[in-house]
Amino acid sequence: MSAALSLTFVVLVAYLAAHVLFDWLARRFQIVSGAEYLLLGILLGPHAAGVMSQHVIQTLAPFMTLALGWTGAAVGMQFYVPRLIQVPVDHYKTATVEFTTTFLFVSAVMLAAFAWAFDFEYRQVILPAITLGAIAAATASAAFSYTEDHPIITQLETSARLGSAFAITAFSLLLCIVHVEVAVGSRNLTAAEWALICVGIGVVGGTLFHLFIGREQKSDRLFIAMAGAIILCSGASAYLRLSPLLPCFLVGATLVNTSSNRAELQRMMASVEKPMYFALLLFAGAFWSPSRYDWLLPVVLYVFTRTAAKLGAARLAARSVGSASLLTANWGTGLLAQGTVGLAIAMSYSLNDAEVVPNVVFTAAMFSVLISDLFGLRIASLLVQREN
Amino acid sequence: MRRALILLLLLWGMAIIEPLGRSAPASQALLTFGFLILAAYTVGEIARAVRLPMLFGYMLAGIVFGPSLLNIVTRAAIAQVSSLNQLAISLIALLAGAELEWKAVRGESIGYLKILTAEVGLTYVGAFVTIVVLSPHIPVVANADKTTVTVFAMLLAAVVVAHSPAATLGILTETKASGPAAKTALGVVLTSDIFIFLLFTLVATGVQLLMPSSGAGSPGLGLVLWEVVGAVIVGTIIGGVVAFYLRFSQRDLLLLGLIIALLGGEIARLSHVEILLTLLTTGFVACNVMPSENTIHFRHGVERAATPFFVVFFALAGASIPLAEVRSVLIIVVPIVVVRYITIWTGTRWGTRWADMTGPPAKHLWMSLIAQAGVAIGFASVAAEIYPELGPTFRTLAFAVIAMNELFGPILFRRALAKAGEIEP
Repeated sequence: MSAALSLTFVVLVAYLAAHVLFDWLARRFQIVSGAEYLLLGILLGPHAAGVMSQHVIQTLAPFMTLALGWTGAAVGMQFYVPRLIQVPVDHYKTATVEFTTTFLFVSAVMLAAFAWAFDFEYRQVILPAITLGAIAAATASAAFSYTEDHPIITQLETSARLGSAFAITAFSLLLCIVHVEVAVGSRNLTAAEWALICVGIGVVGGTLFHLFIGREQKSDRLFIAMAGAIILCSGASAYLRLSPLLPCFLVGATLVNTSSNRAELQRMMASVEKPMYFALLLFAGAFWSPSRYDWLLPVVLYVFTRTAAKLGAARLAARSVGSASLLTANWGTGLLAQGTVGLAIAMSYSLNDAEVVPNVVFTAAMFSVLISDLFGLRIASLLVQREN
Repeated sequence: MRRALILLLLLWGMAIIEPLGRSAPASQALLTFGFLILAAYTVGEIARAVRLPMLFGYMLAGIVFGPSLLNIVTRAAIAQVSSLNQLAISLIALLAGAELEWKAVRGESIGYLKILTAEVGLTYVGAFVTIVVLSPHIPVVANADKTTVTVFAMLLAAVVVAHSPAATLGILTETKASGPAAKTALGVVLTSDIFIFLLFTLVATGVQLLMPSSGAGSPGLGLVLWEVVGAVIVGTIIGGVVAFYLRFSQRDLLLLGLIIALLGGEIARLSHVEILLTLLTTGFVACNVMPSENTIHFRHGVERAATPFFVVFFALAGASIPLAEVRSVLIIVVPIVVVRYITIWTGTRWGTRWADMTGPPAKHLWMSLIAQAGVAIGFASVAAEIYPELGPTFRTLAFAVIAMNELFGPILFRRALAKAGEIEP
């Protein structure tokens, strides 16, 4: 038996063992599964076992882009307007103050940290710092598994939804601002025009696919049409050097609000969302490569800054909006889980030919996911149980 | 009509963004790939509306939008997503194995072997004779000696007898047919995969005794035996592990199916065993060794994962058909295809009588054996490399025969199921 074959067997057995073990851990300690896929990806990747070589990773680039588009569409599908307007406006105000404060605080701290740690000028590190700010604003939807009607659960859900949407929008528009120059006729396209194209792909794409899907009822056919739409929008964005997250987010939001098959679309999206999340984690693990910079300090700083920002911003938001009577002072602990969107933004940043510390940004997001996957749900559960 | 109009709008949109993007094949691949899925889906729907199989529509879309005609899906884009094609083949084989039931295999395998002996034997002889008769019109062998003509005909006939497990499974998944005709067709086609693989290897080895290889040569008999026996061993081990795993967990079975297809294909490649047979055995063992509720969930998970891959696989198969080459050799190919139909029909009748099989499954079985796809293409590529001087003509002829059977096979199989009363006509 060749060494490569032995290695493949080891990886397969490691996957199965890890999965069974995590099944038990998830039941026993309420740890969200996911970290094993990230670790498996790292194990398979070019910097560990090398089963997935650099060439294989490059070949997989279109699939990684697709996983990003799918993530965007899944977030977009959470924005069903008739349901959203039933949520009291104070929840939106609280969420907006929370994610804006987190975004600004983390961006500022990381800007200073990058400039100091890597001896860059501020203008050079604006892009990675704001990207990490956007990643920090995103929150995993840990509260979605609760069905009880309680202000804390509604607030956590609202914050997770809005935070993720804000993170996707901020990052995608940021890429439009720093887009490489593309000449059309005698001049280059402006940032506003790139932003218009980015939004246009999503809105026009969403509308066309609403018409395309029509009254289709059969789930298999609906799935193929939806997958085609997301693949096409992801591909168009990647081809134009834009992030697929925002266009696909808009496709998801358009479809869920206009289609008569909303329930079936949401059900299908939910059934694929988790495997797609795991695939994203696998890709992310394999895609990871150690930075040539001294990355440990910025990564640890990011995790601490985000935690502090989330806790502080949540408290500030509750006080400033006047919802402190409904929410406890430490409701921000329910927002600590990082989730898919943060990792997707980091991956999109690295895939988009980013030249400034892409591996540091990616490693920071990955560590944050690893840590929050281990403790996020448990902390959120404790909070919800205490409040109930 | 509405969908076709939207497709035109999308085509127009692609033309607008084309000058604004980068020319890297990787980034272009996803764009064209997404378009191909929607185009294939639309043409598939149109095909369904006129009572043709959707698979036919998928392939037609591949031909129309592929490099042979509109070139929206370029050769570079096809190459870029070739790994997806590999995964599709692995998934299709895994699903095929998962659909097989031990009871049916145990009870019917001797009957299947009898049918295949008659059908494949007669088709091989028929194709061989036709190719020899047509050889004066085939440029590369027109003035060749008898040995070269014999070798050419033996190899091409070995490609002509192949069937398509992918097309069979694709139609069964599309129509949800599960009656006796569907089960018999699936059983015969899957058994033929091993049968024909052995036949092809024997022929590829045998022709080199007549005329020594001037190219890569074919693998030795020992290696071939390992490819078959090793595939069963490797597939059984992986399937056993999966069956054991399924006893304890039913989480993320769709993802598990994808991972098994990926890893199984890689293990088969590394062990130099036949990939299709490995994944087929994996699916079979996983779903039959320790059957449980989780096994059914696993089968549904793999089915769900494989559905979009059918669209991709057949659309890409259509896009890969070299239309210009097929046109240039049509006069030689049509008689071969006609003889193949006749011999499959006759051989199947003899075979079913020998196996004491009666009723609609026996009567319409021949229609399910017409389709050809991946297996035959693989054989053609290997055969063309044995004699490089015959290779280009051999490849063109073989691909043209496969293309015709690939297009019309699914239509006939769907008709067979309708005639057997297992689907709506």
